[in-house]
This record gives sequence, C-alpha cells and structure tokens, in this order.
Amino acid sequence: MKLTTVRFGDIAIEESKIITMKGGILGFQHIKQYVLLGRSDNVPFQWLQAVDDGAVAFVVINSFIVVHDYQFTLPDKERMLLEIDSSDDVCSFSIATIKSKPFQVTVNLRAPVVINVKKNLGKQIVLKEEAYPIQYRLVQSSQAVKSNNQSFEAEKKKISAIETVVAGQSGR
Amino acid sequence: MLILTRKLGQAIKIGENITVSVIDVKGKQVRLGIQAPDDVTVHREEVYQLIQQQNILAQTSKDFDDKELSNVWNRIMGVGEEDE
Repeated sequence: MKLTTVRFGDIAIEESKIITMKGGILGFQHIKQYVLLGRSDNVPFQWLQAVDDGAVAFVVINSFIVVHDYQFTLPDKERMLLEIDSSDDVCSFSIATIKSKPFQVTVNLRAPVVINVKKNLGKQIVLKEEAYPIQYRLVQSSQAVKSNNQSFEAEKKKISAIETVVAGQSGR
Repeated sequence: MLILTRKLGQAIKIGENITVSVIDVKGKQVRLGIQAPDDVTVHREEVYQLIQQQNILAQTSKDFDDKELSNVWNRIMGVGEEDE
C-alpha cells in the first residue's frame, strides 16, 4: 500500500508490517497505526511513522543499543495485551528528542515503545524502574552506542521483520 | 468525584484487590501506601504528564528530515571522540 508522508514523500509499505499501538503513544492516542522506517546506512536512528497521519513521525533508537544491559520487567497485563509468548519476540525502542546541538539530544529510557515483532503489537510502557531517565543524554554513551550498534546483529535481524528501509539511501 | 476523609492509619479499598492507606501526614505532604496486584500500574501523575510532554517535544518539526538526522548523529559521534 502507498503511504503519503511529509518527510519521505510517497512510500510503499507492506500491510503486514503495520504495527498497532495499543493505547497509542502518550499525547498522540488518536494515532493507532505506525510503521518502522529503517535505513540502509549505519545511523542507528529509525523513524516510527504514523500511518494515519503523514506528518507525525518519531525518531526512535533501539533501547539496547543505548544501554546494553537495559532491563525491565513487563507486567503480566502488558504481556497479555501485546500477546507476548517469548521475550525473543520483543523489541524495545526509546523515543529520541532531536536537537541540532548534540548535547541536547535525549532519549526516553523511562517509557520505551515495546513491540511484539511477531504480532505487530506495540505499546509505550511507563516503567516501574525509576532509575531510567526520561531525558537521557545520548552523548553520555555515544562511543558505547557506536560499538553496540555494530554488534547488535541479532536485534537488527529481529527488527527486520517489521522494518521498511527507506531512509539513509542518499549516501553518507 | 468521590471524596472521602481519612485519618492517619486508615485506608480505602478500590475493588477487591487495591488498598490505599494513609501512612503519614506532615503539613501539606501525605504519604500513601498502595497495595495492588502486579498487573496494576501505579505511577505519580506527574510521570505521565512528563512523558506526554516529552513525546510532544520529540515530535520533530515537519521540515526536519532524514538527512538532518544523519548530520545530528555524526555530531553526536564527534563529541564522543573529542572526549577520548
């Protein structure tokens, strides 16, 4: 199907890759369907593009790339809601707030967007783990992010099931 | 809205499984104890509001494109290298 977006123009997406966001993203609850737009270069950011509104897109980054030992307990209620049978099917993305100054770029580790890649179901979950900040400065772990990004083949493979590669094709 | 007056040590029940009790009162601060099943999430209201605000901030302007995003990433990497 064709999707008209503000940032990428018209893109072709497979309906089987549409993610239904249970309860939406806080503040954007009216939007229920998203697609994950991946890239062909080594930049670890991806876009969570709204299907219902071409202008709405969040920049996300795999939470495990930011903090390699990122860990949280998913309450049973959320587990059921996302129909999770195995944690191998779960991906966690942190929404990034992008500013032109590198020091101002933050990622939200407290409320990841958790996606079941097998069922295409997702939810932004507010974690009980209070140690994870809402505004984690990405520069703090930029070197770790770089090496994690290179070694996270398993995560990337998992994500590829729901990803549509459209970005980063203009060359580096 | 249901409004109840409670004394120190007293509690209210919400449904069968949730109990909210008044643990301590100091001036304008009230400490509450909440007993709820694992599948009930309890957060301070501000946390939800903060996350909502952050999501709105994260929703980048319409003219911010993918190329800009790559540039931002390169600048972040640049900072990391200077630190070493």
